[in-house]
Amino acid sequence: MAGIKLSAVKKTYPGSSEPAVKGVDLDIQDGEFVVLVGPSGCGKSTLLRMIAGLETISAGEIVIGDKVVNTMEPAERDIAMVFQNYALYPHMSVRQNLSYGLKNRKMARSEIDRRIEETAAILQIGDYLERKPRALSGGQRQRVAMGRAIVRDPAAFLFDEPLSNLDAKLRLHMRGEIKHLHNRLRTTSVYVTHDQLEAMTLADRLVVLNNGLIEQVGRPLDLYQKPASTFVAGFLGAPAMNLMEAEVAEGALMLGGAALAGGLQARPGRVTAGIRPEAIRLRAEPGNFRLDYVEELGGTRIVHGHIGAQRMIAQTDLATELSDEMTAELPGAELHFFHAETGQRL
Amino acid sequence: MVENRPFLTFLAHLVLILGVAFVALPVWIAFVASTHDQATFLGGSMPLWPGSNMWETYRTILTDGVPNSGTPPLTMMMTNSLIMALIITFGKIAISVISAFAIVYFRFPFRVLAFWIIFVTLMLPVEVRIMPTFKVVADLGLLNSYAGLSIPLIASATATFLFRQFFLTIPEELVEAARIDGAGPMKFFRDMVLPLSQTNIAALFVILFIYGWNQYLWPMLITTDEKFYTVVMGIKRMSDVADSDPQWNFVMGSAMLAMLPPVLVVIFMQRLFVKGLVEQEK
Ligand SMILES: Nc1ncnc2c1ncn2[C@@H]1O[C@H](COP(=O)(O)OP(=O)(O)OP(=O)(O)O)[C@@H](O)[C@H]1O
Ligand SMILES: [Mg+2]
Repeated sequence: MAGIKLSAVKKTYPGSSEPAVKGVDLDIQDGEFVVLVGPSGCGKSTLLRMIAGLETISAGEIVIGDKVVNTMEPAERDIAMVFQNYALYPHMSVRQNLSYGLKNRKMARSEIDRRIEETAAILQIGDYLERKPRALSGGQRQRVAMGRAIVRDPAAFLFDEPLSNLDAKLRLHMRGEIKHLHNRLRTTSVYVTHDQLEAMTLADRLVVLNNGLIEQVGRPLDLYQKPASTFVAGFLGAPAMNLMEAEVAEGALMLGGAALAGGLQARPGRVTAGIRPEAIRLRAEPGNFRLDYVEELGGTRIVHGHIGAQRMIAQTDLATELSDEMTAELPGAELHFFHAETGQRL
Repeated sequence: MVENRPFLTFLAHLVLILGVAFVALPVWIAFVASTHDQATFLGGSMPLWPGSNMWETYRTILTDGVPNSGTPPLTMMMTNSLIMALIITFGKIAISVISAFAIVYFRFPFRVLAFWIIFVTLMLPVEVRIMPTFKVVADLGLLNSYAGLSIPLIASATATFLFRQFFLTIPEELVEAARIDGAGPMKFFRDMVLPLSQTNIAALFVILFIYGWNQYLWPMLITTDEKFYTVVMGIKRMSDVADSDPQWNFVMGSAMLAMLPPVLVVIFMQRLFVKGLVEQEK
């Protein structure tokens, strides 16, 4: 096991003018589970593949353990990777899939067998060790792909969207298992996903990437409660945070000439204000909120509507009575303020 | 499409039976001819049922040959054909797998050029380049040798092209997973590329073996020593006799035997081949 340290890591693909990764600094502790999250094309996979050694590093330095690995082959870096499409060797049985990397490292037969037994027990894949991948379900293949990483007992696991080929239910289940597994093995892990829920639940530390740069790093809850920018605010949480162009005047939040919230400490001026849907308090009495439509989630409701010209999404419990005209109350303590131009948190 | 109409079923069977008869009848006639003596055949009537001379015919052509048309025993010619076909088959497969591997997985200078040169040879089968090829083979002293028989036929790119297309379908992640598992290029070739190409190799084996076995023009050109005669050209020689009538019973017997190895290869490899197809991923 080992930590991973990235310093000013950049990547420009040959033939493209704009770098895919534009200088990333990240210090991953030994045993930490770090999730890289961000929209499609933001450079998550590129960054992970540079750590794995599958892409060259254009500038900067990557250290795994205490070794600079910039020019090392993937096999020398002591990492294991789980791919989105599993990349199991189709002509080998599960057992051969697991043992291939160990055999190539000249490990003793008895040690290989011992490790396969152990891994099979952890992942409950013992029943189909002799089967070929084509005779396995998607979930079982996923386990074998993880097994191939675990059996190596590497310094770090690298996951590139390992669950995105599974159906929703199985994905949820495997998410739990990965979490459980990490609690048990405590191997340093870097996990790429664009599913923010997966990111929130799995991460010890969350890294939000945007357009090749780190937007914010921190514990999932910290990022959720104190997003550093409108980008992070809009990215984390489902439904997403409501963001509105507004003005702070005399301690009140003004939207389209009407005061939405008062008693604020914020500095006067133009801002982008944000509030999470679940923080909005809706009341049935006619007021500022015009209801458009409702999504029933079973346990809660997502209420879509408008305040003035501003779209607004609120999440309520089933007890709240609904009507076409309602009153939305925005508690001052729940408001987030961002710079109107740069989008940075104020 | 599942249709169940008696008339259509009948029609389908009729067409199939006619097709089979069309192909099988000449083979049957050849077989029948090989079981009668020469006189029966030249008498003008065409018997439809086997005669009693079968043993005699096959014994003669296999062990003595047909001296008055200058053909050696068939065992020798069949061995020559087999050696030639196998060298062509294995040579072609080996060279094309390796060159396709190089073109797909390695970045070397003039890689694209190399590919296009290989591609252009697709348009130059032996028949087209027969004069220069003959000159080269003659200058190298390869006339009347197995090398002369097979090497010029190995040099073509069909198989390289086929393997290239197949390698391009192997997912990139598989290559990367193998790299992480510590497989260098040669290990990757042995542990991944070859096993995954099994089906393609089996299919090519069948095609190339028949291609090699059926070579006619080239062996005829470069062999003058009967030790190197192949069976396909041997049949032709047998029917080309100068002063007497061709011994059709021997010609037909040789044709029957010459058909045998390709048929066996198809039957035997078909099992491997179909198994490979069924076991294919996804
Ligand atoms: N081999 C390549 N050559 C050139 N450009 C590439 C290559 N691979 C990725 N890119 C570019 O680099 C950028 C980042 O790609 P990357 O695959 O890292 O995105 P990602 O965050 O993993 O996205 P996704 O969530 O869709 O997987 C994209 O703009 C992409 O077009
Ligand atoms: Mg990606």
